[in-house]
Amino acid sequence: MNGKQAGLVVGAAGVLAGVVGLGVLALPAGAGPAPVLPQVSAEQLVQSVLTTKTVPALAGTVSATNNLGLPAVPALGGQASKFLTDGTTKAQVWTDGKGKGRVSLPGATSEETMVFDGTTLWDWTSQNNTVHKSTDTPEQKAHPDKPGSGEMATDPAAAAKQIIALIDKDSTVKVDGTATVAGRPAYELVLAPKPTEKTLLREVRIAIDSETKIPLQLSVLANGNAQPVAQIGFSTLQIAPQDPALFTFTPPAGANVVTGEDKKVADKAPDQLKNAAKPQIVGSGWDTVLVEKLPAGTLGGDRSATTKGGENFDPSKLLGQLGKRVSGPWGSGYEISTAVGTALVLDDGRIAVGAVPEQALITALASVK
Amino acid sequence: MTAAVLDRPALDRPLRAPLSRLLASELRWTLRRPRTVIAIVLLSLVPILIGIGVTIAGRRGGGGGLFATLVGNGFVLPILSLTLLLTMLLPLLGAMSAADALAGEASHGTLRGLLMAPVGRGRLLAVKAFGVATTVFIAVLGIAVVGVITGVVLVGTDGMITLSGNTLSFGDALGRIGLAVLWVTFQVWAVAAIALAVSAFTEHPLVVMAATLAGALVFGVITLIPQLDWMQPYLLTSSWTSVTDVLRDPMPWDGLVNSTLKAACYLAIGLGVAYAKVSSKDG
Amino acid sequence: MTSTSLVEPGVGAAVAAPALAARTRGLRKTYGSTVAVDQVDLDVPDGAVLGMLGPNGSGKTTTIRMLLGLVQPTAGEVELLGHPMPSGAQITLPHVGALVEGPGFHPFLSGRENLRRVAAAEPLMATPAIASSVTEALERVGLADAADRRYRGYSLGMKQRLGLAAVLLLPRRLVVLDEPTNGLDPAGTREIRRVIAELHAAGTTVLVSSHLLAEIEATCTHVAVLHKGSVVAQGELDELLEAGAPALLVSTPDVELSLDALRDKRIAARSSEDGLFVELIGTTAPQVVKALVEAGASVHEVRRRRTGLEDLFAQLTEGEPR
Repeated sequence: MNGKQAGLVVGAAGVLAGVVGLGVLALPAGAGPAPVLPQVSAEQLVQSVLTTKTVPALAGTVSATNNLGLPAVPALGGQASKFLTDGTTKAQVWTDGKGKGRVSLPGATSEETMVFDGTTLWDWTSQNNTVHKSTDTPEQKAHPDKPGSGEMATDPAAAAKQIIALIDKDSTVKVDGTATVAGRPAYELVLAPKPTEKTLLREVRIAIDSETKIPLQLSVLANGNAQPVAQIGFSTLQIAPQDPALFTFTPPAGANVVTGEDKKVADKAPDQLKNAAKPQIVGSGWDTVLVEKLPAGTLGGDRSATTKGGENFDPSKLLGQLGKRVSGPWGSGYEISTAVGTALVLDDGRIAVGAVPEQALITALASVK
Repeated sequence: MTAAVLDRPALDRPLRAPLSRLLASELRWTLRRPRTVIAIVLLSLVPILIGIGVTIAGRRGGGGGLFATLVGNGFVLPILSLTLLLTMLLPLLGAMSAADALAGEASHGTLRGLLMAPVGRGRLLAVKAFGVATTVFIAVLGIAVVGVITGVVLVGTDGMITLSGNTLSFGDALGRIGLAVLWVTFQVWAVAAIALAVSAFTEHPLVVMAATLAGALVFGVITLIPQLDWMQPYLLTSSWTSVTDVLRDPMPWDGLVNSTLKAACYLAIGLGVAYAKVSSKDG
Repeated sequence: MTSTSLVEPGVGAAVAAPALAARTRGLRKTYGSTVAVDQVDLDVPDGAVLGMLGPNGSGKTTTIRMLLGLVQPTAGEVELLGHPMPSGAQITLPHVGALVEGPGFHPFLSGRENLRRVAAAEPLMATPAIASSVTEALERVGLADAADRRYRGYSLGMKQRLGLAAVLLLPRRLVVLDEPTNGLDPAGTREIRRVIAELHAAGTTVLVSSHLLAEIEATCTHVAVLHKGSVVAQGELDELLEAGAPALLVSTPDVELSLDALRDKRIAARSSEDGLFVELIGTTAPQVVKALVEAGASVHEVRRRRTGLEDLFAQLTEGEPR
């Protein structure tokens, strides 16, 4: 009996260890207890962020989680569109703290790597063995680690006051405790709409690294949902000098190298739309609604807006995939609703977008002729 | 057998055959089984087939994914082969080996012989697990070696072009392939451990194969159902894409480490169940 | 394995002088609601050749499997070579050779390779001796010529011989043979008998199970009869043979005279082919002879009637379809 029972006990212990291990592995990285940090006011925090002009040398993984509730749009292929669909997307980022940087977007069996070596931006796509080489200053795309330096007051203290005052009109700003993000202690700066606001959003949380004052994570929370509807931030972060070899790129043998400003067609489309008309702003603060009128026909048969690959596509078809058909005394069109906002695209070319419920959009539309 | 009564060895303490002798005997047995040999040889031919296919298809690319990367990049061939084989055939090899190890022995009545020798039950499982593990390792290594040779001969190579676009030296490339071999081996071990647990419960090797196949299908189906997304982190198969991480530079370790830990959990579960059953089962 | 010189070394430590090579008390095994073996108290004397007799399904194999520690008894205790089983398996089983439920070998290996594999697992086998022990065992069972053929191609008899060869790889204290003559032709059966006799001569205790009576009668010194999972009789073969219904067979031409004389003495008797059949109930053989001689009957021969194991077996398992 002994051997048998001992066998069962040892066996059960093994199974238990395995099951517990799986559970631990599947668990999201534990938040752990909130770190204890010196008290700081919202104003001081914003000020210290603004004072920090440089991003230190770092390597990290940026995760973007999206629960917007947008349906997957196969028409918008490519790596970048992954950020739009629900789920988590990861990117590896490196920077030497002196302007050079590297971003890689891994696919299951492929990778897109962008390297800025100080003068040249290399954009390598493994799937088609192609390198895009451009020598203009890179846009700050996919660099969430670079805080937008405002063109406001040059004195950070004054600027901080200015910003807080601006925000304070219709929001409450406070430092809501601390958190550990990517293993680093951080302050949680919270912007929440005043109760009078009609917005769908509950609050926006920004985790700011207590040491380097760089933003580590941005979370958007909507009403009626405990989980962030959108979140972007570091899931791992190492602040340390990086291997300079990371910031150089030599096109591999046999790769197609495309030089010059060969911007992707997909990037052009929004530019065209942007130039089409000047949007009007209705309301303020959280309830701001953008209303614009596109020339009639833009959403109909115009073939200028094409996806990459050169296939023709019909915007109204895309709208049908994304939203539902609505109509009312104000007209008819498509309503695209997500957890954080609503968009109305009417057949007559009018568009209204805001982080508000549908009714607020209709009111805004009515105020514009 | 002229040994007389007076010549008997003492009967006062537990006696065990040397472990090394048992392991050697197990290997000899495993590697003489025609089925095992044929399976290993067939699997090793896969890189050659892929290499020929890519050479014939030429520079037109096509296939996408790793196939696109393979053109002019021979060191990718072993990794690509392992990635493809890991989805089904390597787990089946592990299952087959595990099926023969316990269920097969039981069906031939040889398991009883080992228990009567006696080989202690814990040792028996250890010896069996060793045999299965070695078979899997030899198969994976064979695929990789044939892959490297085929890659160099057929596709040609000046080092390994990573998915990240840079080129690794010959030595680094071999290091990456070695890492892939170890990682893939460990993943298949996890499958084989579960199969070994099933194998301990039955006398029919085919039941083990069927159960493993069914498990693979169930995992595949779960992966396809969005409502069951929450199960993904628990599925062994869901992290099998991370082997391509060895083709990135700098290499991200988290996927490889996480999947290895996950495999270790499956290994613990499989061997735990197998141990409980083997130590209590009737001979 | 260093010491081979001492006489029965170390045995006394556990159990004083094990006169029994194997012993069970109150042994019971149930599978679900089926009782396979119940209340088996079996004694296998050291040095004996014990035949375990019983129809198929009487619990012989289950008892043997419990003796060898392959199966955990539901209740009761098992002692093998003085050590409790199955906890003492690692101590005792190296000294035990067994052929249980037919030979088990791998079809794709040759007979020799199969034996090498078995030999590798034997704790008492010295590694350098494996090759020679295998060859020797193969020769002993007459498989030397077929040694390098695949087991797959062996006949039933050859398979059984190979199983026997595995048992003979090493000198043993106890050899257990479960239905060893299954599938063997008469020549094979004779060879099994020869091997059992050799083992017995070498001092090895042998436990043979069989459902064939002639087999047991021909080879055994002791016998245990199992029926429906219980031991219904056991002891020395000679004793058991007499245990049935003691009787005398008397050869005499004076049948009537003798019958009358015995009737006077109230001894039950009846006439038979060549004389008298006298039941020894309430009397003894000398008394019977005395009565006959006093009556003046001429007695040619008086002998005890042996029941024959067949009769005993038939009595014990009466009405049992075999």
